[in-house]
Amino acid sequence: MNRPLWVALAWAALLALVAAVAPAFFDPVNVRDLIVRASPLLIVASGMTIVILARQIDISVGSQFAICGVVAGLLAREGVPMPLVAVGTMLAGAGLGAINGVLVARLGLPAIVVTLATLVAWREGLRFATEGVWVQDLPGTFQWFGLGQDIGRWLIGLGAGAVWAIVALVLGWTPAGRAVYATGSDAEVARLLGVRPTWVIGGSFVVMGALTGLAALLSAVQFIDVQANAGIGLELSVIAAVIVGGTAVSGGRGSLTGTLAGVALLATVGPALTFLGAPVAWERALQGAIILIAVSAEGFSRVRGVKERHA
Amino acid sequence: MPDAAMPASAPAAPTVSSHGQRRLATPERVLLALLVGELIWFSLAGTNFLTLDNGLEILRASTEVGLLALALTPVILTGGIDLSCGALLGLSAVVFGAIWRDAGQSITVAAAAAIGVGLVGGAINAWMVAGFGRPALIVTLGTASLFRGLAEGLTGGAVNYSGFPAAFLHLGQGRVLGLPTQAWVLIVAVALIAVLVHAATIGRGLRAIGYAPEGARFAGIPVGRRLALVYLLSGGAAGVAGLVYAARLGQARADAGTGFELSAITAVVLGGTSIFGGRGSVWGTILGLVALGVLTNGLRLADQPAELAGVLTGILLVVAIGVGARRGRT
Amino acid sequence: MTRRTIGMGLALGLGLLTLGAAGACRGGGSATPDGALTVAMMPKNKGNPYFVSCRQGAEEAAQQLGVKLLWDGPTETDPAKQNDVVEAWITRGVQAIAVSVENREAMSTVLRKARGKGIKVVTWDADADPDARDAFVNQATPAGIADVLLGHASRLAGPAGGEIGIITGSLTAANQNSWIAEMRKLLPTKYPNLTIVDIRPSDDDRKKAFDETQTLLRVHPKVKVVMAIASPAVPGAAEAVKQSGRKDVGVTGLGLPNASKPYLLDGVLDSAVLWNTKDLGYLTVQVATALAKGTPIAGTTQFPGGRLGQLEVRGDNIILGTPFTFTKANVGGFDF
Repeated sequence: MNRPLWVALAWAALLALVAAVAPAFFDPVNVRDLIVRASPLLIVASGMTIVILARQIDISVGSQFAICGVVAGLLAREGVPMPLVAVGTMLAGAGLGAINGVLVARLGLPAIVVTLATLVAWREGLRFATEGVWVQDLPGTFQWFGLGQDIGRWLIGLGAGAVWAIVALVLGWTPAGRAVYATGSDAEVARLLGVRPTWVIGGSFVVMGALTGLAALLSAVQFIDVQANAGIGLELSVIAAVIVGGTAVSGGRGSLTGTLAGVALLATVGPALTFLGAPVAWERALQGAIILIAVSAEGFSRVRGVKERHA
Repeated sequence: MPDAAMPASAPAAPTVSSHGQRRLATPERVLLALLVGELIWFSLAGTNFLTLDNGLEILRASTEVGLLALALTPVILTGGIDLSCGALLGLSAVVFGAIWRDAGQSITVAAAAAIGVGLVGGAINAWMVAGFGRPALIVTLGTASLFRGLAEGLTGGAVNYSGFPAAFLHLGQGRVLGLPTQAWVLIVAVALIAVLVHAATIGRGLRAIGYAPEGARFAGIPVGRRLALVYLLSGGAAGVAGLVYAARLGQARADAGTGFELSAITAVVLGGTSIFGGRGSVWGTILGLVALGVLTNGLRLADQPAELAGVLTGILLVVAIGVGARRGRT
Repeated sequence: MTRRTIGMGLALGLGLLTLGAAGACRGGGSATPDGALTVAMMPKNKGNPYFVSCRQGAEEAAQQLGVKLLWDGPTETDPAKQNDVVEAWITRGVQAIAVSVENREAMSTVLRKARGKGIKVVTWDADADPDARDAFVNQATPAGIADVLLGHASRLAGPAGGEIGIITGSLTAANQNSWIAEMRKLLPTKYPNLTIVDIRPSDDDRKKAFDETQTLLRVHPKVKVVMAIASPAVPGAAEAVKQSGRKDVGVTGLGLPNASKPYLLDGVLDSAVLWNTKDLGYLTVQVATALAKGTPIAGTTQFPGGRLGQLEVRGDNIILGTPFTFTKANVGGFDF
């Protein structure tokens, strides 16, 4: 059974349970709020899917998210019009991603260690620079892009959907996408086939950064000011969503469909548990258990094969 | 059978030479140079940096992360990782407090329970990684949430166990033969892990698993058992570290050990152990640990803000692995 | 030499240069005369806007009194890090240490050690064991804070009473937990028609406070009052109530005036309880300096707090004042 299907089933089971116990969960307003809440996560997860498909990983996205949010706020405060703020924020994210990309692709350093280093350095650097002060006194056009909360929410939800669709299209139907899969499966063979792994890998980090910047912006415009330290722990939620959704850590295998399923499941678990009345102190344990179950489920069909080979 | 547990970037060819393990390999030499540089700089810029007392305090503060980092070294050697050791430290500490205070048992029984919890946690990781062959990254990500969550659930987040007897606190706050008490625990751990990684046949087996898992199996190495061992050890180390933590701070709360796994991984990688597996040493880990401890301590004594330590750690890490990768190519 | 070796050498050099530059920049910071007192002050966590405002007052007092202020602490709320920082200060040698204690038990041990070495110890905002410090700068007692908060909640819920939802900091936060404990004690006796229906953590993250409040309003549709008792949580909770359009839900809590101002002004947030955090920082440095200079606190009934005038001393507690409530009417007069 393929993973996205399994995850979707698990999600359906969870929703069925909630429907039985607390149908208020399905109130259209609540569903709308959940979609808006999950949108930045979906955008970052789409970028992470590309990175992991290329057999890399990026655990610094939380720090990128925080920096890009602050950049967005600072640009807006300087009077830059919102469309340019969006461009500026994504460029900032792309720039950060480029740093990761150069270190990993050009210098050949291991992605997990590089992004561990940038995770720490960037977050601490941001704290050092902002000293914990939020970016306030933003113009009225900042929240919801000045379009009001109804249009703003549609924008965010549709934006996330569009990003997901575009990344899915590129990955599934373009040479660039095939290059990513090829690089992730076997970089050497890919090179022989004419793919340039260095560019693919570097590019995947840059795209990751740009998408993180976009997500940070869409998250920030829901408020009237910008926190100095947003996105703590984001990388773990995103990576969990992508991998639970079936994209393999070893690269070359997975899809955006899986990521969508993974995001849907993980974004729903917290609120669902709240609706089910689970004591809040146990929520993290339950989320961990769900990740473990999702990851081990596929293993059941493979265990037999493994044991036979061990004999 | 382990999946390729760690994503690889450019293929680096680790050298599996026993010779390089006994004398300091190039990444460790660079680290040693950096460490010496740190020592010189901070003795000039910091106040009272180069004193015995300060050195011992650095040792005392680094023990918990040190225990985690030492146990993490064989894990990373096999090409795996354990992101759950910090959370497991917290769970062990909380269980220790609960068994002692709420169940009214003696400190010894409570301590045994704490280490037991660590081993059980390690066993869960071992079962999923070695038994099911699931990637260590996502398994330990899940167990990290699980263990931390269990600690939060058991205490409601709010409960803080404290008031431990002075004899127990001596483990974390006292001195034995001039060294902080926990330093002796660390020394024993170093000896154990050093034997495991360097002297025993098992050590070569671990490197082989990290370098080429399929080849290792065909060579007759019981991969499943070896992997189970290293994750179990990591769990046990977390349990012991939880006790040291509770003794040093005099309290045990659900958030104990938050972020320790990242510090431990940093120390291990800084020390030249390749994150892809197959190459590394305990001495490197110790050097990495000392370098990090000295950096944080020195910056504080030089009146620098804590954030700077983070930024410099990041730079240090990139420089250190940069040298390691370079060596791998030649 | 290969290009890569040069590259690595450059990176190494850059790293060391940064170290040096950082040292040069910060080391020769404020121009205090040699032999000046050093007061080392630590918040629970440097990133929280609450503590950022305390620092402003502390810097003001340090400048006024001509003492060197070391401000450092964990960047995240971290029980172990606070200990390490104090240990470093003991090694470095400072005349006074002022700590907002995240962990009473853990910190008391190391603070006693500091006192043993002749360093004067002051706690502020959150206390340690009485024998671990020379004085405690107390802005308000947990019971007092709980009472004021419940008073606002009661007023908002109306004579019929109702359900309260609390958004707290993190589940392990000691201050918040003590306020909640005091509130639970007061409920049956003083506010019998109020019930606390849920307590959600925000982990001091505004977005999380927002998300949790949104969920809270859906899971407990009869909630009358949302009480956000951590300063990043107040704007998060207020924004969530505002976006939900639920005019029947009142919002109160514990927060900074600047973050609360927009919501106070448009009526979503009814009241924000706090004290003057700048004054808290200011007073702490005043007390620490006085102690370092040898002025005793215990046994006196008044403490001269610089521009704050004479402040009440109760035993070894210096009282800043009573909790203050920011409202639409008065918030304009404050800037922190």
